[in-house]
Amino acid sequence: MPSCARSTRSAACWPDVSTLYRDIVLDHHRMPRRSGLLEAPSHGCDGVNALCGDSLRLELRVEHGCIVEYGFRGECCAITTATASLLGERVQGLPIDALAPLQSAFAELIAGGAADPALGDLAALAELARYPARRKCALLPWATLAAALGGESRTTTEKDAP
Amino acid sequence: MSAFDPLRYRADFPLLARKVHGKPLIYFDNANTAQKPQVVIDAVDGYYRDYAANVARAVHTLGEQATAAYEGARDKLATFLNAGGRDQLVLTSGTTQAINLVAYSYALPRLQPGDEILVTQMEHHANIVPWQLVAARTGAIVKAAPIDADGVLMLDRFEAMLTPKVKLAGVAHVSNVIGTINPVAEIARLCRARGIPLLVDGSQACPHQQVDVQAIGCDFYAMTGHKLFGPTGTGALWARREHLQAMPPFFGGGEMIRTVSFDGTVFADPPHKFEAGTPNIAGFIGLGAAVDYVQNVGLERIQAYESGLLAYATEALQSVPGLRLFGRAPHKAAVLSFLIDGVHAHDVATLLDHEGVAVRSGHHCAHPLMQFFGVPATARASLSFYNTREEVDAFVRAIDKVRRLLA
Repeated sequence: MPSCARSTRSAACWPDVSTLYRDIVLDHHRMPRRSGLLEAPSHGCDGVNALCGDSLRLELRVEHGCIVEYGFRGECCAITTATASLLGERVQGLPIDALAPLQSAFAELIAGGAADPALGDLAALAELARYPARRKCALLPWATLAAALGGESRTTTEKDAP
Repeated sequence: MSAFDPLRYRADFPLLARKVHGKPLIYFDNANTAQKPQVVIDAVDGYYRDYAANVARAVHTLGEQATAAYEGARDKLATFLNAGGRDQLVLTSGTTQAINLVAYSYALPRLQPGDEILVTQMEHHANIVPWQLVAARTGAIVKAAPIDADGVLMLDRFEAMLTPKVKLAGVAHVSNVIGTINPVAEIARLCRARGIPLLVDGSQACPHQQVDVQAIGCDFYAMTGHKLFGPTGTGALWARREHLQAMPPFFGGGEMIRTVSFDGTVFADPPHKFEAGTPNIAGFIGLGAAVDYVQNVGLERIQAYESGLLAYATEALQSVPGLRLFGRAPHKAAVLSFLIDGVHAHDVATLLDHEGVAVRSGHHCAHPLMQFFGVPATARASLSFYNTREEVDAFVRAIDKVRRLLA
């Protein structure tokens, strides 16, 4: 456990919240990977949760059925930003056929199910099972990714919010 | 006058004693809904235990008692608002229903294509969307008068927009997001000089200051019970008598009629003309108890205490690095909307909850105001007379933890 005097930016100093805001989540919130839009996207979609005030643009370059490039930009909460970042890390290079089972596994995880090893670091968001009101935050990048591939220009995860 | 001691009143609110995530609850979401004192809970409970019956139709003892208590609550509310007469107070499910009643029963039959309804940029959706719906049916237009960077209504601009095309104006008494107290008496004078009826949305005013609808001089005043320490599903529309007499019923059904036949129905007089069906009897009996309660505490004392608490909280928040406050009106209620640089409002609310602090995050049902400030959402702390400086201190300490974690 890091010393609090040394590292006040770790949730280890705030045990109550350390399970949701894990260090890996905080790290991806502060330094999102694959942040920024693409020069030549083949797909793109805006994910907007207007009630919350979360909004992101996600872009992809798909070649031969594989995601060869992923980028996003947004004005989002830490949970959405970290999920978008972790998601990009996970899906870059994947065939688009592999996304649907991964998305189901993630939805199951944050609804309280077991962690599918295929999720990798995305499993860090498992604690959302205890935060039903925040699940839509983590689902937004996933829904935006699926909508981009489906040719939609805009999507939201608020319609099925609790 | 003795010093105001919030701890004395806190004891009246059982819920305030509970803990959240193991921490004492600090309830700073009063603009969303207020907690209820024991006397309100007892009044609701007493109706169901001792004299539950329908109102205005049963002649048995229970029916008489229920009717007396329900109509007694209307009398209390009428006195509370200085309504002028109990017939001028229509009981509704809340402010939203009250405004919709005016939109559909008063505005809809009168609006012509090109007519305008003037509101302000700081309105709650409840004082925007009903007007848009009737405007869409009639070809009328909803316009919004601007506010300045401090969140103060630009009265000269509002006045300039009061053209002959304007057939109705709607203004919040107090902003739910930034706490601005609008000069509603002055606004009513401007409207009245031009023969334009004015609706005042009093949701956020009634719990914090003495409201006198006749002194304001408006045409309609909408309020809600649950923010006034009463049960949810209660509220009222006060209106000038001539308006209520001219307005057709909005809902039809029982209780709003005098005689019914298939050749024609004779409606009851106001206010019952607008109160079809069995009302929220227990709720209004609870609201009557809430009105008695706040009058015992004293709204002038509440306003003075909250004003001091607001000044204290504002100064404390201004000392937090990277914290931006929205709304700096010279006359404002104890509502503090804020953002911390680099931290989204939802993370603020989730993290503060872990310290026992309940605040609201989001757009607060005021998208146009969020657009004005150029932010998607804010966090909002809204205080009441049962909140203390010690709670403000704990809140600021919790914000500092959030800032260190995420900013």
